[in-house]
Amino acid sequence: MSSSTILDERRQDGAEGFTPRTVPLGRRLRRGAAPWLLLAPGLLVLGVLLLWPMMRVLNLSLQDYELRNLLRGDTNYVGLENYVDVLTDPFLWKTVLPNTVGFALVCVVLTMVVGTVAALFLNSLGTVWRSISTTAIMVAWAVPALTGTYIFVWLFDAQSGLVISTLDGLGLMEAGSYNWFTNRWTFYGIATINVVYHGFPFIAVTMLAGLMTVPREHYEAAAMDGATAWGRFWNVTVPTLRPIIAVCVILSTIWDFKVFVQIYLMPGGDGANPDVMNLGVWSYTQSFAQGEYGMGSTIAVLLTALLLVISVIYIRTLMKEEEL
Amino acid sequence: MIARRHVLAAGAAGSAALALAACGGDSGGSGGGEVDGEGKTLTMWLMQGTNASADTYIEELKTAFTEATGATLDVQVQPWDGAHDKFVTAMAGGTGPDVAEVGTTWVPEFADAGGIDPLTEDIDAAGLSDGMVEGLAEAGTLDGELYGMPWYAGVRSILGNRDMLEEAGVNSQPESWDDLLTMITTLEEHNSDWISFPVLGASIFPAVSFVWGAGGLIAEEQDGQWTATINAPEAVEGLSWYADLALKHNASTAAATTWKETDALAAFLQEKVPMFISGSWTPATIRQDNPELAEKLVAFTIPAKDSPVAPSFLGGSLMCRFTETQEPELAFELIKLVTTGDFATRWAEETNYFPGTTEALDEVVAGGDELTGVFASQMTEGGKSVPVTPAWGKIEGAKTINTMLGDILGGTPVQDAADAAATEMDGFFSE
Repeated sequence: MSSSTILDERRQDGAEGFTPRTVPLGRRLRRGAAPWLLLAPGLLVLGVLLLWPMMRVLNLSLQDYELRNLLRGDTNYVGLENYVDVLTDPFLWKTVLPNTVGFALVCVVLTMVVGTVAALFLNSLGTVWRSISTTAIMVAWAVPALTGTYIFVWLFDAQSGLVISTLDGLGLMEAGSYNWFTNRWTFYGIATINVVYHGFPFIAVTMLAGLMTVPREHYEAAAMDGATAWGRFWNVTVPTLRPIIAVCVILSTIWDFKVFVQIYLMPGGDGANPDVMNLGVWSYTQSFAQGEYGMGSTIAVLLTALLLVISVIYIRTLMKEEEL
Repeated sequence: MIARRHVLAAGAAGSAALALAACGGDSGGSGGGEVDGEGKTLTMWLMQGTNASADTYIEELKTAFTEATGATLDVQVQPWDGAHDKFVTAMAGGTGPDVAEVGTTWVPEFADAGGIDPLTEDIDAAGLSDGMVEGLAEAGTLDGELYGMPWYAGVRSILGNRDMLEEAGVNSQPESWDDLLTMITTLEEHNSDWISFPVLGASIFPAVSFVWGAGGLIAEEQDGQWTATINAPEAVEGLSWYADLALKHNASTAAATTWKETDALAAFLQEKVPMFISGSWTPATIRQDNPELAEKLVAFTIPAKDSPVAPSFLGGSLMCRFTETQEPELAFELIKLVTTGDFATRWAEETNYFPGTTEALDEVVAGGDELTGVFASQMTEGGKSVPVTPAWGKIEGAKTINTMLGDILGGTPVQDAADAAATEMDGFFSE
């Protein structure tokens, strides 16, 4: 760490070979130490809470590590065997990955669209109504994922849920005749509504904050030039908000990729119905239900790697060089 | 890790000294504590929700334990949700209790992993090896060693709503599958809005009763090697018969494909279900939630193909000693105190489960009502355990049998679904 500090400072001073002579080593170290000292609390927290567990997961993913190993405290390295097993498993390519990626894609797009529309709507309101509406949608955000999921499970209960009761009342479908949770498409349909409902308020509020910073003059100038409402949105709002949109998209993608509670708590989502398994649930059931901690870690590592790749691509395409 | 092992070694030395000190007296019967635990504290885990009046029980148990041994008892009540993970982490981190209630299906897994102690010697020395409820002892025995003292057990039978059954004119013990089918079709014809007999997709225990009832098995052991037999002709016959209740005879509902036993109980409480397969502990719950319905309860044993009592899954708990305990002698005294004598009978009475020893079981049955009698005969004549192997933990974790049931109820041919389950199970057995 200290050597890189010195290098950094050299670069800042811009005069290599000159700096070491004029500034005594002690002072150099002290000066170099200052930023690290200030960063230390944050780094320590990140190191303990994120870095260490990540290294541990990486380490576990290279082992055939089961309950027995955990209890005896021994190791059992198998190299990349877990990775080979997972990557050659047709279950990954046919079920888990399409479920994870497809679901995330749909959810991110829907969340962004609904969130943006809600933000535009809120932006057009007066102060009073805006605060009332913002509070209302924030309630949806404040509901814990667990509670929210149970509510959707109840709504779509096949025997006495609100949806089937309504359809039954309208004479469209008989109560108890179809179980939405057993079909992959309807299962994920319900999960999508749940996740979008739960995720759009954050996007809406963040976008609203961005919208309020766009200078009114830009819109006026665009209107003078004869831009339509859509044109104003596309040519004024979107470019100005691009950094915010990028952050929202990246965050939503990460959230929707690693969605777990909303799937696991739905009937059949806990692994009983393999058709609806996603990467998060697969990793969990491997680790904690079957005690295959090594395999579970491997899946978790792959999920992390996938998210890193996607995030890098997003950042590259959505942000200009100078914004980075 | 290494540091912890040293501490443990020191602890073991300490308890060896204690054992020597205790040699003077022969460890006697229940509660007869000859071990001097003065100034020591034991920790014990109990599972939450089994006993509605657990607080009083725990207080009295603490007092009795201190009186018998001089040691203090610290009881921690653990919720079932996430309990498995908690046990595992506690074993790994050395933060576990000295004594814990462990569910029967987890015992082989924990025993194999080295988290709990074999108790055969202690149990023999205490003269407790006879008179245990067989199904519980079987569930706790791995490679000839008993890893816990049977504490309580529950079993599943058919629970019915007398009014609804009598309305349709079917209220007698089914002597065979044919009888049961007649009952179910009569109920269905009488009122097609009723869910005559829910066929659960998210609980395996009602289903395995029919596998066993046809003479099939989930898996078989030969020379220490397990092989799945869930796809053998008998097992498939049982599964088909059970699934056909939903698929052909319309006795269930599509909703039940993802129902657990609690969901079926909820529908029964709303009086939409005339009868269903249910645990021996549910009448107590019904008494609390719907006292009127509780007055109308009837019970039948689950019939086998040609006889009135099919094997039924016997679930329950054993009292186990964690390997990491520093007070093994004292811990065993506690296990004896809880699983024998007054405390065992009381627990059974308060929880509506059956005690783990035959003596206490007879006492409970003699003092119980008609329902208790039915469940008791299902248990003594048909109480059966799932395969006792560490691999079962994985099969349960992978939800292999749940998946099979869900597939069957979703229309997959029974043989295909059972073959897939058998392949997966054999994979776990051969690991």
